[in-house]
Amino acid sequence: MRFFSLKRFGLLALLVALGLFIFITTHAQAYNLSPGNSTNPITSPDWSLAQVQSSAPALVVTPPPPKEEPCLSCHILGQNKGLWTPLARWTLFGGLGLVFALGVYRSASTWVTRSPWKPLTNRAADWVDDRYKVSEPLSKILKKPVPRYALRWWYCLGGITAFLFVVQGITGILLAFYYKPTPEAAYNSIQIIETQVYFGSAIRAIHHWCANGMIVMCVAHMLRVFIMGAYKRPRELNWVSGVLLLVLTLVFGFTGYLLPWDQRAFWATTVGSEIAGAIPAIGNLALIFLRVGWNVTGETLSRFYALHVIIVPLVTVAFMVGHFLMIRRQGIAKPL
Amino acid sequence: MSEIEHSPEDTIPFFPDHVRTEFYVVLGVLAVVLIIAIAGMIDPVGIGEPADPLNTPLHVKPEWYFLALYQILKKIPPMVLGIEGKIVGVVIPILLVGLVFIWPFLDNKPDKSRKTYWIRMAFAIFAVITIIALTVWGEVS
Repeated sequence: MRFFSLKRFGLLALLVALGLFIFITTHAQAYNLSPGNSTNPITSPDWSLAQVQSSAPALVVTPPPPKEEPCLSCHILGQNKGLWTPLARWTLFGGLGLVFALGVYRSASTWVTRSPWKPLTNRAADWVDDRYKVSEPLSKILKKPVPRYALRWWYCLGGITAFLFVVQGITGILLAFYYKPTPEAAYNSIQIIETQVYFGSAIRAIHHWCANGMIVMCVAHMLRVFIMGAYKRPRELNWVSGVLLLVLTLVFGFTGYLLPWDQRAFWATTVGSEIAGAIPAIGNLALIFLRVGWNVTGETLSRFYALHVIIVPLVTVAFMVGHFLMIRRQGIAKPL
Repeated sequence: MSEIEHSPEDTIPFFPDHVRTEFYVVLGVLAVVLIIAIAGMIDPVGIGEPADPLNTPLHVKPEWYFLALYQILKKIPPMVLGIEGKIVGVVIPILLVGLVFIWPFLDNKPDKSRKTYWIRMAFAIFAVITIIALTVWGEVS
């Protein structure tokens, strides 16, 4: 049994570092009491009101710098009302207290039961496994061998696409908090996201550029699979679901493009749905389905919004799950 | 079901070895995302003029990934073989996507030769160059 565990020491070192950080930052706060909201009971003389005696012009009197009383006692007693100082202090001392309490419990328990201590993570895992018997199937899933030839960079392209989809999901949810899908408010809400919302422009930039990146990665992955002939028997359905996923990604792009409701968006959608209207036989049906009427209106915006944030994501997730399960079942195709 | 049987020295376990590799890839992508975020705060994506249904702009262009299709539609002659060009320009891409969709059922011989590999490679390069050329043409015109 090792007394000096690096992990435990690291946790303690982290807590001490956090404490030092809090002390340094809040210590400066105690010295920098602005005269306006002074909770400082010791008032220093106001030197700006000091009159310099004019009877002795030869003598230049410079008042000493204002004496700043630190009032450390107010700081320690918590009379300096801030949000972060007490929070940080509670976190630090609470964390130290928890570590201490756990140590006491651990020592006592080791002493009483005369058996080595079982880490808390193992206890939690045992608790779950005792009830749901997950460890055996889980380890079977996790121990599945992956062939070494699948460690080249071009096998990453599909995974990067999937990860970018996750990024799109997260940033899309964040954007949906502020976006308003009506023709009156859409444009304005995008402007608010760009200028007022914290990190709004960053989130929108990620959503915009990762959408483009996702299409590039999708096509690159498809080309890789095509060139290596990985779509052949028995992986036909994987290819089919992959093509559907590419089409869904393009639908994401098409529906998302209208949402800012600016000139480019409006006219690109007008032209795009017109092209759909040129399909023989079902053209007009497609046009009316896309536009909800004969013109691009607020109804179109609502429909595209619903497609973009609810329907297409759900369908995409369903196909992605199928895509992954098939890969899992069949393994990664062998190269030439 | 699984046709591949690997010997243990040809494989790595999914966890933790493969997961770790994937994790590094994810970290790399996240670094790029962070750069995009910083770039986005310096130079936002921005937004154009508000939509005005009564005012058609001079140049309407779709996003770059539809530009190749759009360019085909724009440059196709008005009548092709007695059929209206616009319809041809719409139907041919749909048929192409349908062909790609059912491709594994057409090319279903389990062939692993070098020759077909290079044929597929040449075909893919040809397709990519065509699409890029159309996109660039659409972008500059």
